[in-house]
Amino acid sequence: MASEPVARAVAEEVGRWGSMKQTGVSLRYMMEFGSRPTERNLLLSAQFLQKELPIRIARRALELDSLPFGLSSKPAILKVRDWYLDSFRDIRYFPEVRTRNDELAFTQMIKMIKVRHNNVVPTMALGVQQLKKDQFRTRKIPTGFDEIHEFLDRFYMSRIGIRMLIGQHVALHDPDPEPGVIGLINTELSPIQVAQAASEDARSICLREYGSAPDINIYGDPTFTFPYVSSHLHLMLFELVKNSLRAVQERYMNSDKDVPPVRIIVADGAEDVTIKVSDEGGGIPRSGLPRIFTYLYSTAKNPPEIDGPSEGVTMAGYGYGLPISRLYARYFGGDLQIISMEGYGRKTRPILEDKQD
Amino acid sequence: MASTEPVARAVAEEVARWGAMRQTGVTLRYMMEFGARPTERNLLRSAQFLQRELPIRIARRALDLDTLPFGLSAKPAVLKVRDWYLDSFRDIRYFPEVRNRDDELAFTQMIKMVRVRHTNVVPTMALGVQQLKKDLGGTKAFPPGIDEIHQFLDRFYMSRIGIRMLIGQHVALHEPDPEPGVIGLISTKLSPMRLAQLASEDARAICMREYGSSPDVNIYGDPDFTFPYVTPHLHLMMFELVKNSLRAVQERYMNSDKHAPPVRIIVADGAEDVTIKISDEGGGIPRSGLSRIFTYLYSTAENPPDLDGHNGVTMAGYGYGIPISRLYARYFGGDLQIISMEGYGTDAYLHLSRLGDSEEPLH
Repeated sequence: MASEPVARAVAEEVGRWGSMKQTGVSLRYMMEFGSRPTERNLLLSAQFLQKELPIRIARRALELDSLPFGLSSKPAILKVRDWYLDSFRDIRYFPEVRTRNDELAFTQMIKMIKVRHNNVVPTMALGVQQLKKDQFRTRKIPTGFDEIHEFLDRFYMSRIGIRMLIGQHVALHDPDPEPGVIGLINTELSPIQVAQAASEDARSICLREYGSAPDINIYGDPTFTFPYVSSHLHLMLFELVKNSLRAVQERYMNSDKDVPPVRIIVADGAEDVTIKVSDEGGGIPRSGLPRIFTYLYSTAKNPPEIDGPSEGVTMAGYGYGLPISRLYARYFGGDLQIISMEGYGRKTRPILEDKQD
Repeated sequence: MASTEPVARAVAEEVARWGAMRQTGVTLRYMMEFGARPTERNLLRSAQFLQRELPIRIARRALDLDTLPFGLSAKPAVLKVRDWYLDSFRDIRYFPEVRNRDDELAFTQMIKMVRVRHTNVVPTMALGVQQLKKDLGGTKAFPPGIDEIHQFLDRFYMSRIGIRMLIGQHVALHEPDPEPGVIGLISTKLSPMRLAQLASEDARAICMREYGSSPDVNIYGDPDFTFPYVTPHLHLMMFELVKNSLRAVQERYMNSDKHAPPVRIIVADGAEDVTIKISDEGGGIPRSGLSRIFTYLYSTAENPPDLDGHNGVTMAGYGYGIPISRLYARYFGGDLQIISMEGYGTDAYLHLSRLGDSEEPLH
């Protein structure tokens, strides 16, 4: 609802900031910096964010405006773009952070920005659905659609980064952090423990939907820990275990055979921590494998309601679990690979980087 | 050996002409259906097809060998291979048109000899690559553009698989008393579990010979399941993969008092693919080292084996086992994937297409 000249001025600012160079931050740097959350350091952090966030946000706003196939004009996409523009304005029009009070107010402000963007993923998913309905009534997806997929990969990866920076800064203000925790980073994260927690969560969803759930066996060194963002790892493991449980459940539901457990193996190497989530759920044919990483494929009938609980969890959501888990894995230099043995089961492995420079 | 100038030039022209013609791919299914009735007429047709197709494929490779980057073409070993290709081109091109049964039998003998001539192409090319590495200073870091050589070798070896398949299949169809269910080189009822057992025994024997002991190999799957495939191809791939797994486990547990965990083979039959997983707990490979195991420029062996020695099988050869196994897998539309968990072990996934409709990959 801005007036013409104001809108144009903002558009110019967005154009300008959107072409400035972004600055990446490593996990190691975040840990070292955050280990001493002094007033001075928090001020430095806020000043960095005051410059860095508008660059990242503007870049995404510009992209949202120039998507192919008319995706940019879909109502859901326009909604997301307006969120990005509002957040850009909020940060750009915030006075220069100079004192502790400035810093505290700034932190509150970016906290609200994070909340504003909570539903970006389902809203974008709705936009893609709207596009599919309009353009591709048939199943055939035209060539060039890959462009949209690549855009979404960049877009969601950037969102992970923005939310990590904001979340880390906000969390450093916690007056009474748990031992070993630096902001959002747990310096002594036990992957076995996270696997156990994620497995329990996934099993309870499965129980709720199917009335029963396969067992999950976890193998690895229970004393092994490494520094990582627990919520990221939890999200990835939860997604993978959920998929495995669903595959096994669907395959053995109406069978009298013993239900094979899902197996999780945690391996700690010199370069990587590798976690294998393994099931005998019947597998995926090789021809269908690339599709599980696209944003245009979902085994769900309908995407869940947007205004429902955030990240509304069902066994089959809007089909974004795997591609987004892979983005989380890659965010700190890791990866997620899915190998399937059609007719047997599906083995998936998120690989997480141990040492990050 | 040396032909006269004008003859050499004429051959060079022929090679260039045939090397530019379009290749024709054949599917496994077609080979099976055609070979199911190895009548005189069909064998004649097959010979006539090969008389046209083989020179095209051979000439293409001869041209490639002449234009390799980094001076690879001039290495003695590579020149040797190129001469084999030129000789074979001449042999086929100068063979009179096949018109009757006698022609066909003579032609079959001739291409059988061509196949024998090319038996040692892979180790000879490997030697050429070694010669190049030495020239380039033998450092661990290769200059940019070295990928080109790797891609060339992929195409070259894949083409060799195809040429040898076509020749081998044609020759085998002359077998007067074939085993039941066998069509040339193709076993229409190949049992992957049984073949896994054989390949494992062979691999364990090599391991025993070199280390004095060997980890166990456990095999899981449906023992009744069969599908059509080329037995020697699958045997080669499984043998390579099991050999690597045994070696990794052996090296890891040799000096340990813990019991060596068995290598596990799982055979799964799906609608599109047969997938065979070979799984070990041999400690794995770091993610940064994984891409190198598919290159032709990497070997965990100290020295490549003697060229004039016996087609020497050792636990660590010249490091071509994995990339070449992948070519065999891809030849009929399958694939080979290696996934490793550093600190734990490695899984190799062999995907073999069941449908048999995949055309040979031709470049």
